[in-house]
Amino acid sequence: MELFLQSIVNGTIQSGFFALAAVGLVLIFGVMGVVNFAHGELVMVGAYTVWFLHAQHNTPFLITIVIAISLVTVIGMLMEKFLFRPMRDDPLGGLICSIGVLFILQVAATLVGGDGPSKQVPPPFEGTMVLFDFLRIPYQRLFSIAVSIAALGLLWHFLTHTKLGWALRAVSQDREAASLQGINSNRISMIAIAVGAAMAGLAGALMAPLTNINPHMGHNVIITAFIVTIVGGVGSLSGAVIASVLYALYHTFVTTYFNGTVATISGLLIMVLVLIIRPTGIMGHRVSE
Amino acid sequence: MATHTQHPARRKFLKKAAAGTVAATTASVFPNIVLSANKTLTVGMNIPMTGDYAPWGLPGLYGCEIIANNINKEGGVTIGGETYDIKVASYDHGYDTEKALQGFKKLVLEDDASMIMMLGGSTVAAVLPWATRKKVLTTTLLPSDITPDSNYLVATCESHPLYNVTGVEWLARNFPDVKSAAIVTNNDAEYGLQSAATYQAAFEVAGIDVIDTHLHGFDVTDFAPIVSSVLAKNPDVFCMATSFYVTPIMEQLYHQGYKGKIISCTLDYYDEIIAKTSKEFVNGTIFQFPDFDDPKLQEAGVNFPDPAGFDAAFRKDHPNDWSAVAWEYPAILLNWLDAAKAAGSADSESVAATLKANKQEFVFGGGDWWGSQLWGLDNALVGRWPIVVIEDGKARIQEYGDVAGWLSNNKDVLVKHMKDLGLRTV
Repeated sequence: MELFLQSIVNGTIQSGFFALAAVGLVLIFGVMGVVNFAHGELVMVGAYTVWFLHAQHNTPFLITIVIAISLVTVIGMLMEKFLFRPMRDDPLGGLICSIGVLFILQVAATLVGGDGPSKQVPPPFEGTMVLFDFLRIPYQRLFSIAVSIAALGLLWHFLTHTKLGWALRAVSQDREAASLQGINSNRISMIAIAVGAAMAGLAGALMAPLTNINPHMGHNVIITAFIVTIVGGVGSLSGAVIASVLYALYHTFVTTYFNGTVATISGLLIMVLVLIIRPTGIMGHRVSE
Repeated sequence: MATHTQHPARRKFLKKAAAGTVAATTASVFPNIVLSANKTLTVGMNIPMTGDYAPWGLPGLYGCEIIANNINKEGGVTIGGETYDIKVASYDHGYDTEKALQGFKKLVLEDDASMIMMLGGSTVAAVLPWATRKKVLTTTLLPSDITPDSNYLVATCESHPLYNVTGVEWLARNFPDVKSAAIVTNNDAEYGLQSAATYQAAFEVAGIDVIDTHLHGFDVTDFAPIVSSVLAKNPDVFCMATSFYVTPIMEQLYHQGYKGKIISCTLDYYDEIIAKTSKEFVNGTIFQFPDFDDPKLQEAGVNFPDPAGFDAAFRKDHPNDWSAVAWEYPAILLNWLDAAKAAGSADSESVAATLKANKQEFVFGGGDWWGSQLWGLDNALVGRWPIVVIEDGKARIQEYGDVAGWLSNNKDVLVKHMKDLGLRTV
């Protein structure tokens, strides 16, 4: 029972990272139709920023989070302006551009951090909360999940209660129809990638004290984000969040009771099965031609 | 008249001042250049300097450059009556097999390297046919790369993971209450499984029951579930068989309140682990790789010149890069130079023959050629190996273990566990 409850805690915390990484990918794909392969590297840049400013130059952690979000947001906006917008009618072109950005960001990280070992960030929040004498939650993880939930809540509010959010959803549903309603799709695309990249930057900043930071860490992030996005329903933000929670719990429980490799392989199998049986995912819906 | 007599003196002064200025400027701009009339002897390092395996390559290059500079400053090395300066040529293969072969050929054919140092694993397997055909002396840190035909492949320093048996033996002797152990490692055949099998054998010989061997892939981003799963079995000893993920695993052990003994193959960058956990938590952790300012390394029987000076020089130039391999490649280089001097030639065939024919002094003392019982050829030099424990936040050698003695007594147990995990044995 103790292991079961600890696994629920472990899975819940993990779901926060999965969701932050996945919603950005979903947002960018939904609005712009671009599969952003560099999304994992945006997470990596967020983590590197915290390592560079907080671990190397003693900048307060909370300030580095803000800087990480800002930096990654700017990178995302530059990608939209100079790469994705010119490639708007060429989905393959956008994808290839994002792969190019992926390599550029990896090399940039190597230039900043140098070669050698993975980078480590000492946890700004030390110590562990112990509940019922057996359930252990490090304060750093508690902080991360709280911020993740707050960020996802804010995003939800933005999308459902603001005019910009409505416009964003409108463009993701039908770009042409939205344009006919006077919505500036270029501006909305810029906002979508800014928000998506900000979420990625936040995910990286929150993960930084909890993981090995290296230029290639985005690889695992993007695989997880793809699984979550496809299972949740491509283009569906609520689907991505629900799938993040389900997948994180599934992965955690299978890893705990069986094996991490089995968890990853079976996760990919589930993704394939979803594609075959229910291509729209949990929350996606079929669009008639 | 006076002015005439002053001109030559002034010219002389100006010449000397100009020469001095040029020399001083050159020395300050290029401090590592030693002007020398010696010939150059090139050794190659075909290693990962970028990517996930970089911590097991790059620090070794830094270490070899320190050793080469020291030798060159002292006038070079004399082999067969000729004095040479040592040049270290390197190639970053990023742990990619195709690049490894390309780099190997480049170092041999273009850089004229007399010997090539490598990390091991699939990158060595990729170069081995060519290296054997061309008779290029190659070194590896993984003796499991040795095959019955690999006559020019030697493991003269690290015999990963055979030395791990000494840590378990020391643990069992000093903590007799320890009865159970859990092993966590990555599931690759080159590093993880080799190490897991060796630890399983060592625990069996020590009378410690292995209650769990948890293998994981390289895609793990969160070790909380793995550590929770293993700790639920209440092991007296938590064993990390390889070092890729020691830091996040240690962090989880700390947060999940583990109180038992910890043993690990390596504890690279343990300062960072302490920063992420606490000194009190990391104290007592047993592993196998010393810092070179350790007082026990200054004692007689250690075959490494001025270990403390080397440690200081390394940390001065590369303060955050010390890892297990920082001294290993230099130790290999020094061992090879000794053999080349004895052979009177840097030629691979001569050095290989001398290495195998003579009694070799292992870096920590001792030194027996071993390997035929496991891999088909006695090309791994096995000697004393240190057992290191963190004391007051610092790595300190407790004693040297007898790897060769353990192997001669328990080889069959090791082979059994290697076979059980599907590893190649003869």
